[in-house]
Amino acid sequence: MFSIETRSLTKKYKDKTAVNSIDLTVNEGELFALLGVNGAGKTTTIRMLSCLCKPTSGECFIMGKNCLTEADEVKKLVGISTQDTAVAENLTVLENMKMFCGIYGYSPEKAAEIIDKMISLFNMEEVKNQRAKTLSGGWKRKLSITLALIGEPKVLFLDEPTLGLDVLARRELWKVVRSLKGKITMILTTHYMDEAEQLADRIAIMANGEVKALGTLEELETLSGEKGLENAFIKILGGGADEKESVLNKNI
Amino acid sequence: MKKKAFSIRIFKEIIRDPLSFIFCLGFPLVMLVVMTLVNDSIPKETGMTIFRIDNLAGGIAVFGLTFIMLFVCLTAAKDRSGAFLVRLYATPMRSGDFIVGYTAPTFLLAVIQTVITFAASVVVSLFTEVELDFVGLALAAITLFPTIIMFISFGLLFGTVFSEKAAPGLCSIIISLASFLGGVWFDAETTGGVLLKICKILPFYHSVKAARLAITLNFEGYGLHLLITAVWAAVFTIAAVFVFKARMRADIL
Repeated sequence: MFSIETRSLTKKYKDKTAVNSIDLTVNEGELFALLGVNGAGKTTTIRMLSCLCKPTSGECFIMGKNCLTEADEVKKLVGISTQDTAVAENLTVLENMKMFCGIYGYSPEKAAEIIDKMISLFNMEEVKNQRAKTLSGGWKRKLSITLALIGEPKVLFLDEPTLGLDVLARRELWKVVRSLKGKITMILTTHYMDEAEQLADRIAIMANGEVKALGTLEELETLSGEKGLENAFIKILGGGADEKESVLNKNI
Repeated sequence: MKKKAFSIRIFKEIIRDPLSFIFCLGFPLVMLVVMTLVNDSIPKETGMTIFRIDNLAGGIAVFGLTFIMLFVCLTAAKDRSGAFLVRLYATPMRSGDFIVGYTAPTFLLAVIQTVITFAASVVVSLFTEVELDFVGLALAAITLFPTIIMFISFGLLFGTVFSEKAAPGLCSIIISLASFLGGVWFDAETTGGVLLKICKILPFYHSVKAARLAITLNFEGYGLHLLITAVWAAVFTIAAVFVFKARMRADIL
């Protein structure tokens, strides 16, 4: 069974097709990166997979559960860290965590155990009693990911988790993401090519709601005939029409 | 569990906002003192008793509750404008959990606010010739329950429908309407005509009237005023629940 599976997944908003019939499979424990320019359909794909919007047509499954017909079950399996650091600003780090433990219905003992685990995993001891609104961007992102992990998800969606962070905070967050690799399935959307290069097991390049290419870094390099993800990305999305067609045909 | 977790968050978010103390407690209490001073300046021959503490306490309590509406509205609108609510949609939280989560803590805050307002009224009454009856005040506090529910529903409704920027402006209109047409600052009955008719159509006059009658343990017409307030509260609660659920469905369409 795949962790994530989509079949002809499509989302249309009036005249605009945000996601156009994508077929993806993601294995358990894999870190899968979705790359693409703005409006490529990355976030919409994540929203459909995390039951935050409904597909216009097609299907998607998380651990075999249908996101449309078994949304309640799916919600127990996924965690999401959105582009905006959506945390309760006037609550402390600990209080934010406790709130999410309550939302997932944990007993006080289990809540304490999970919170301890999270604080240790994310090295949050020094900020645990600090209100979220006083945290730096990096700490807020960490808190946002922590909250997504409190439900002990099988699948974690990280929507541009390092957007707007300085280089040190980004590296710090990469460490955290790496530490989760293999333990849970992660879908990462990002505009930073080095991030996908460093972290992802496989990469999908999206444009106009479609998956234009998919594979490991090496496979994408081979497909595009370019060295490095950035060059491959540009070639796949911005190369000459013939070359692009050829890459797509080879891949799809 | 989910309801409790979300309620605690709402409670803490509101009490940690200094503005909530200024508006929900400070402003009504200042008005209580100011209007008592105004009452002292009104010649007794005029027979005007609107600002006498036994009348004023109920009016100020209702006036204070309008700010509870403002904070429910602001919290709901703010949650919607950011990604926080959306993120919670991806958890096992259901619409009922959100609605109870917004309502329960703000109801508690409103009760605390009412108790403090009445306690302050007792203190103020010590400097006047009017003695307030504790049973009457307790009854008035209970009488205000439907009014509390009504204002929370208003807040939830506006916070759900309108943006973070538009919602407070709309609440300000309701605050002004509620205090003016509720007869907090003038005796609506002495005006008569169209103004009194408008006052009687809207719920605020009945809320204030029921609270005032309860304070003085005067039960003439009390039941009717309470019933009208309760009906308005029920209508707006149903509307708020319906709109919130519809909005949540629309958000995840």
